[in-house]
Amino acid sequence: MNKNLKRVLAVAIASGLALGTVGTTQASAKKKVRTVTLAFQGPLTGPDAQLGQDQLPGALFAIAEYNAKNPKRQVLLVKADSQCDGTVAANLAPGVANDKKIVGVIGTSCSGEARNSFPAYIAAGLPMVSPSATAVGLTDPKAADRGFPIFHRVLANDKFQAPALVKVGAKGVTSPKFYIVDDQTTYGAGLAEYAKPHAKKAGSIAGTESVPKGTADYSSVTSKIKASGANIVLYAGYTADAAKFFKSLRDGGYKGVIAAGDGVNTSDFPSLVGSAGEGVRLVAPDVPFDLLVSAEKLAAFTKTTGVKIPGLYVTSTYDAANVFLSCFDKKKYNRPGIQNCITNGTFDGVSGSKIKFDRYGDIIGGAPVGEFLVKDGVIGYIGIA
Amino acid sequence: MNFSVVTSQFASLVLQGVALGLIYSLIALGYTMVYGVLRLINFANSEVFMVGTFTVLFIQVTVLGHAVTREPMHGWPLILALALSLIAAMGVCALLAMLVEVVAYRRLRAKGANRLASLISAIGVSIFLSESWRIFTDSRPHAGPRLLEKWSFGEFHGANFRIDTMMAIFASLIIYMVLLRFVNGSRLGKAIRAVSMSEENSLLMGINLNRVVTLTFAIGGLTTGAAAFFYITIYENTVFNVGFNLGIAAFTAAILGGIGNLRGAFFGGLALGLTEQFASAIIGSQWKAVTVFIVLVFVLLIKPSGIFGEAVQQTRT
Repeated sequence: MNKNLKRVLAVAIASGLALGTVGTTQASAKKKVRTVTLAFQGPLTGPDAQLGQDQLPGALFAIAEYNAKNPKRQVLLVKADSQCDGTVAANLAPGVANDKKIVGVIGTSCSGEARNSFPAYIAAGLPMVSPSATAVGLTDPKAADRGFPIFHRVLANDKFQAPALVKVGAKGVTSPKFYIVDDQTTYGAGLAEYAKPHAKKAGSIAGTESVPKGTADYSSVTSKIKASGANIVLYAGYTADAAKFFKSLRDGGYKGVIAAGDGVNTSDFPSLVGSAGEGVRLVAPDVPFDLLVSAEKLAAFTKTTGVKIPGLYVTSTYDAANVFLSCFDKKKYNRPGIQNCITNGTFDGVSGSKIKFDRYGDIIGGAPVGEFLVKDGVIGYIGIA
Repeated sequence: MNFSVVTSQFASLVLQGVALGLIYSLIALGYTMVYGVLRLINFANSEVFMVGTFTVLFIQVTVLGHAVTREPMHGWPLILALALSLIAAMGVCALLAMLVEVVAYRRLRAKGANRLASLISAIGVSIFLSESWRIFTDSRPHAGPRLLEKWSFGEFHGANFRIDTMMAIFASLIIYMVLLRFVNGSRLGKAIRAVSMSEENSLLMGINLNRVVTLTFAIGGLTTGAAAFFYITIYENTVFNVGFNLGIAAFTAAILGGIGNLRGAFFGGLALGLTEQFASAIIGSQWKAVTVFIVLVFVLLIKPSGIFGEAVQQTRT
């Protein structure tokens, strides 16, 4: 965890305690300060920690804004570190579900951990609003392991991300020949599967490969890609593995386009991949927070969180937190009330758009998918893909 | 099944398989040396490897100040930086392996404890190291800097003879030859072989058992440290659990070749590296582990003691 974030959390906790203390001491004289608790569930440690660490400031900022406006109703945030790991999430979710103080989950960040958390959260009626879990199956009415009725997400799913990934990968390439690689996770395998028909339409598929997450050596995949004559590699997986894979590709002499989904679009990607990351094209169903808010609001975000440049999914995490906070504004403070509020309500997104969920938790009308490019060791936003 | 890749990329798969296999071999030598002497598996060896990889990063990033974003080094500074990283990794791993021996094995051995007790204490040390590093690093992956520019000597039938790959191959061969010579030709090597044949007789012959066992752990640490250096040089990344998969692979290599057998560890590693490469290329990466273990079971069914059979120390090879 970076020092700024630690400082912010320490301040938030200290403020919470201080407020609690003030509330207790003044209880006899005045009305007590009431608290309501949300959880943020995502990777805060582990190989994919940066995904969650990038998002968390969005939730902290939204809550800080709410707390400033509502001194008598303070929102507390509990961090549930599921490490983007389904097994960790399955062990952690019952504890979160059983904590009756927690009335909603901002999360999960990853699709696999969402799927494994559903049994506990559905049984407990604990509503979830995810800022970044994009696997289609999570809201698929036909999927047995969908998150209905408690799961919602404020971003476009992989049905929208997959064509954007193909489009961005093929941009400027004559006779696109795709090689699609996934990491066998719920997210990666799903995104790759949805990309295939679009890749076929845009050109041809030279090959596909599923390489388990955590693989150290990608040289055989590199050899296959080189032998296939592919000129575009699409990767559906997460940052830590992408860094190893892209290094292997470039060191192995592959000179074509590399494009990847939002799992790779984390602020630590350029430092992990080094020079092999130059020119890598990325997509994500997100528009950077700093492009959507005023300079004053951005300054307030930096002051509150200590983060100068908001990372990926700060926008959607801010929106996800605000879905819950809007329900608090409507005096809904328990799980059934919040669930009902989310299902039937319409919420304001930071971009000015309206957020309303369909029956299975997807955002009605979709949401934009952004295009990004790694240049000079920095991930830059290009525009809507 | 994709056999076309074998025809077009055969040389490349062989080269990469040999490089990966030799890294397995170096770690496998750590397992096999200890087994040869104590008839016990040093399960902490995978974490010794992990610590070795972080040592290389520490030297390169913190001591030498070469940030991940910096350009590669050249000339004498490069040679000195690589030599320092290699020596540091080997030294730290050797010291750690000796510490493991003192903590997890020596006292239990002195008290005549059950062999399983030592096995469990080694697993305990392994978990302690792994979890400590997990907490210390927040479980995050760490990228290594590119000290060595990955230029190529040339290509042959799709095989790219890159400097890092070639360095790992030749240095591993040299380390193996030196180790063989040491075990077979030196006085201390003879002592190791004597202990592996019979602890009791070795004691009667005046051999300092503790010294020999510690030395054996140190040698295992040295080869494992070298593996850590070559791993970072080629793959340029590490994480707290990097030793788990590589440790399993190296242990499999040692079993495949014949545990306790130096030649077995060496060729077992090579065989495993090549099997993994070809299985990934032909059947697909998702079947790599399955194929490797099918091969292992098949070999053990035919030759239960592994390809090279009994301990090399006993056969005096």
